Amino acid sequence: MLDLSSSTTRRAKRGLRREWRLHALSVFSLSVAFVCLAAALLVVTNLQAIEKRWAHAGRASIYLKDDATSSDVTQLKNALAKVSGVTAVRYVSSGQARDVFTKDEDPKGALAALPAEAFPASLEVDVAPDVTDEGLTEIVSKLEKLPAVDDVETYQSWTERLARLVRGGVAASAVLAVIVLLSVLAVVGSTMRFALQRRRAEVEVLRLVGATDRFVKAPFVVEGSLQGAMGAASAIAILGAMFVIVHSRFDGELAALIGVEPSFLPWPVALGMIALGAMLGAAAASLGLRKLVQV
Amino acid sequence: MANEESRPFRPKLRAGARFGSEAAQRPILLFEDVYKSYRPGAPVLRGMNLVIERGEFVFFTGASGAGKSTLLRLLYRSETVDEGRILFMGRDVARLTADSIPFLRRNIGCVFQDFKLVASWSVYENVAIALEVLGLPQRLVRSRVGEALDRVGLSGRGGDPAGVLSGGEQQRVAIARAIVGEPALVLADEPTGNLDPQLAIDILGLFEEIHESGTTVLFATHDRSLLEIRPRRVVVLDAGKAVDVRAGIATKQHDGDFDNELPL
Repeated sequence: MLDLSSSTTRRAKRGLRREWRLHALSVFSLSVAFVCLAAALLVVTNLQAIEKRWAHAGRASIYLKDDATSSDVTQLKNALAKVSGVTAVRYVSSGQARDVFTKDEDPKGALAALPAEAFPASLEVDVAPDVTDEGLTEIVSKLEKLPAVDDVETYQSWTERLARLVRGGVAASAVLAVIVLLSVLAVVGSTMRFALQRRRAEVEVLRLVGATDRFVKAPFVVEGSLQGAMGAASAIAILGAMFVIVHSRFDGELAALIGVEPSFLPWPVALGMIALGAMLGAAAASLGLRKLVQV
Repeated sequence: MANEESRPFRPKLRAGARFGSEAAQRPILLFEDVYKSYRPGAPVLRGMNLVIERGEFVFFTGASGAGKSTLLRLLYRSETVDEGRILFMGRDVARLTADSIPFLRRNIGCVFQDFKLVASWSVYENVAIALEVLGLPQRLVRSRVGEALDRVGLSGRGGDPAGVLSGGEQQRVAIARAIVGEPALVLADEPTGNLDPQLAIDILGLFEEIHESGTTVLFATHDRSLLEIRPRRVVVLDAGKAVDVRAGIATKQHDGDFDNELPL
């Protein structure tokens, strides 16, 4: 399909050396497009991790009214222990809730200055994994009727919102991928056409000595492929650097907020992007050089 | 090993095989009623007929615009005829598809007035490209390029950038590129046009050496001094037709009237 003989690679290297400014500009343009795509993929990757973490929380938080007494709490605990599907019930006082929330906070920070009364007492209920969302909803509806209960949080609505967010992120990534595809075609195609014009003399000589279209195009396709791969690789490097900076600045706060440690793009995704860049670059160069110099 | 795509264009000419031994006796080139014009009503070639035998050295001359360069361009299919046939080794060049043209050109070495070298490439690279398109292994390319440069008097200059050479040296590189593939036919389109008289004679000498090895050479020139150096066949293009002149004596005008019709 593509002639990767030493002649092709030699001519491609020569072309890259001679037109390095042109190629550098092209790689820069491509990396901007790929950064957008990589950033979208990064967000989707982490949203999916969050969704997985919270999708079936397997727990509920029963927030108690401020006037709930210790006997109310004991009665509730005993009642909950008898409910099918409930595996554990644990009481968390206001002070304990405050301690958990401010555990990783700066002692002089705003959150740490809040009084214990700002955090409602709660019963943390662990639910068996085989309890369906409908079963959990039924349990909640019964609990909400109890006088000592202020509110019940099962995190279902939150996970539903999160799932919608993930789907939206995937759709946005697909749109960005199309934009990146068009950008690669436009940038690499026009760069290669420009390079072809600058190397008219070379192409003319190749034609005169009996080179086929494939032989003439081959180094340009290699150059286009390299541009695409380098554009994607640069984007991943730039995004990686930004990720490291943001991650180091916010340290454990993000993890505390979302419940999972933020992670960078998985290796297969990063390598896949580079491979995609290479393939798109090769395709763009090949399409852009449909009409070669005729001698 | 050369790949499938690089299969040579020339047919096998071994006795008893696909072609009879008489095939080797056929003319290498045959122009039959060739018409070519660039403007309506002003044909450059009008019903031109010409036969070139294998191993001939033929000068083409004529006034400016007579059609010398056109004739050569038709041969390597940079242009197409309006009418007529051009048979090169038995195949009608005019009817070749675009995909077949590269294979035609691998059997024809071309030398031009403006050298047509890639200035940024080295001497070696400019010559080697004629073999690289054939897919030959590098070891073979190196040895054949060395031989070609030796033949044109540029041995040891392979590493020099082509752009820094003198005019005469650049033309030698172009000649080396034309002959490195051992083509059946070498076309020279005013190869001495940009050179001083002494250099022109040196270059002509090179072409004569090439011819002595059996290659057919067509040499287009308007320089009459070159025609007088050796008693070669001279074809004058006049009024769109080919007039054969040998040693200054006009003999016959080829006008579609052949003594023996050659079987093709």
